[in-house]
Amino acid sequence: MIWYRWRQRLTYLVMSAFVAWHTLAMVIAPAPDSSVLVRTLRAALQPYLTFFRLDNPWNFFAPTIGGAQLRYSLEDAAGAQHSFTPTEQLNWFHPDYLWFRDWHSAIADDPELYADRAGALLCRKHAALRPVSITFVQYEQRSFTPADQLSGKHPMDPEFVRVNTVKTVQCPAP
Amino acid sequence: MSGPVTLTRFARDRFAGLSRAWSQVWFQDSPTSPLELTRIGVGGALLLHYALAIPHLFDLWGDAGWMPRDVVLGIRDPWMQSVFYYFGAPWEWVAFHGLFLLCCAALMVGWRTSWVKWIVLVGQISYDYRNPTLTYGVDWIAASLLFILCVAPVGRALSLDRVRAVRAVKVRELDARLPPYSSAWAGACTRLMQIQMAVAFFYSAISKLGAGIWWSGDAVWTVFTVDGYYNRIILDALASHYWLVNLATYGTILIEIAFPFLIWQRSTRPYLLAAAIFLHLQFALLMGLFYFSFVMIMGHMSFVRPEWLTRLGAAWKRAIGEMEMIYDGRCGFCVRSMVWFLAFDGLGQIKTRNFRTDPSPIVTDAQMEKALYLVLPDGRALPGFEAYRYVVPRVPGLWWQVPLFYVPLLSRLVGRPLYNWIASHRSLLSSMEAALSPGHRDNSER
Repeated sequence: MIWYRWRQRLTYLVMSAFVAWHTLAMVIAPAPDSSVLVRTLRAALQPYLTFFRLDNPWNFFAPTIGGAQLRYSLEDAAGAQHSFTPTEQLNWFHPDYLWFRDWHSAIADDPELYADRAGALLCRKHAALRPVSITFVQYEQRSFTPADQLSGKHPMDPEFVRVNTVKTVQCPAP
Repeated sequence: MSGPVTLTRFARDRFAGLSRAWSQVWFQDSPTSPLELTRIGVGGALLLHYALAIPHLFDLWGDAGWMPRDVVLGIRDPWMQSVFYYFGAPWEWVAFHGLFLLCCAALMVGWRTSWVKWIVLVGQISYDYRNPTLTYGVDWIAASLLFILCVAPVGRALSLDRVRAVRAVKVRELDARLPPYSSAWAGACTRLMQIQMAVAFFYSAISKLGAGIWWSGDAVWTVFTVDGYYNRIILDALASHYWLVNLATYGTILIEIAFPFLIWQRSTRPYLLAAAIFLHLQFALLMGLFYFSFVMIMGHMSFVRPEWLTRLGAAWKRAIGEMEMIYDGRCGFCVRSMVWFLAFDGLGQIKTRNFRTDPSPIVTDAQMEKALYLVLPDGRALPGFEAYRYVVPRVPGLWWQVPLFYVPLLSRLVGRPLYNWIASHRSLLSSMEAALSPGHRDNSER
């Protein structure tokens, strides 16, 4: 009987410790690292947050809402250029719409890490065109006003985008 | 002497008060039904999402795909683990993906929930960490909700595990009832999930309040001009009536900031819950964020009060009316079929009567020798296949059988003769069943 009571108390204690710990983790994970207290708590919680994939910022569409589109041009063996806008072929209702967009953002944001593999995959995909190189280009959106919309313009029209060449990847010789 | 004694008593009273408050916040005896709604929704959403990834499996998470293994291993934290880091042969990806999808399906229907939920969590984390470039809001919330579901005692209601548990009780006594599960730990896990949703909304609002584009009221306009969310019709409407942009922008912030503070009160919870669901429906319909919105709404289900579900169940039961199934208690096969059937009747809508021991005033014994009967509140009696066909759409636990019983023409064409054949051969089926499982108890004559 005494053992049963102590086991109940111990269970209650363990459950209390867990809910307190997990709540602290949920609150600290997205908190800005500006204070010493948060940094100290984060250091203790970080392995738990990372291992269980709980380290989330919850900052949907903030602080900025950036618009950009990745396109690529392929140069074939004859020197001709072929342009592609991969997102145009995607279905809004399918999850690959977001997967491809995320991949394109990664290529544009960190070409040194991701562009070579992406280029190699595209060289293989377009092998029939006998590609020599793939050049990734980012179309970064700029301000588009209601007046522009009412005058029949489109946010991706040349006057509303800045074109940045991301990287050129050489295709392996066939 | 009285000073220290008073101080000790004061401290003890304070501690006892705090302890009571702590228990009230965290450890109230609660059913798991709100968490089960989340389990069903998250399981189903993951199943569909990752099933659609099958054609892209190696592109998204393979070593020859978008994210080279050496790149991800180079940028990862040592605590980031993925089963895919340890795979070598393509069949391992295929086998794991297949297992993961099966576990998502099992999680959704609540079959062997106590361990399949852990495989789903491991899978979700593994996919995220194998290719972190693909993760966005839905992956954050899915992993967070799955973790809480893993530590929670889910599978005790609205699940096949519950059906199995009820069946185990009814096998011993057909009229026996298994009391609904509730525990203090279920209450604590529901609270954790509620806090998770409130934290997500709070930080989402805070991050928006720190951004100029949200303060100025233009954020929603910008969202719809972005290539990924561009919609000509919506932009035309917003451009003509720009106040809608301001309203939607400030309304979003208002809901997100009010939610973590007002969702806890009994009187305001229905409104905040409705507002949050409305917000996510907008994200789904106008921005195409179907998966994200659905998983978020399922997370909000943790705020559904169990008594709301109880009232809903009672209202449904009242609307449908009582049904009485009359069966042959001398036929072991019939009794065991009834056990399975009743195990799915979570609301207890069906009453049973064994005509051998308790003859019906409505259906004669001669009729009962031919088929099972269902007696409705208005006194009508439906035989055999028609009885099942009537019950299936009216008992929520049996809705999964609707496609079988309601295929136009085909269901009746096949179902009636099949039922009649089983009914006329039920003695033979009972004896065959007994021969195949010699250990089973004879349930007849209940």
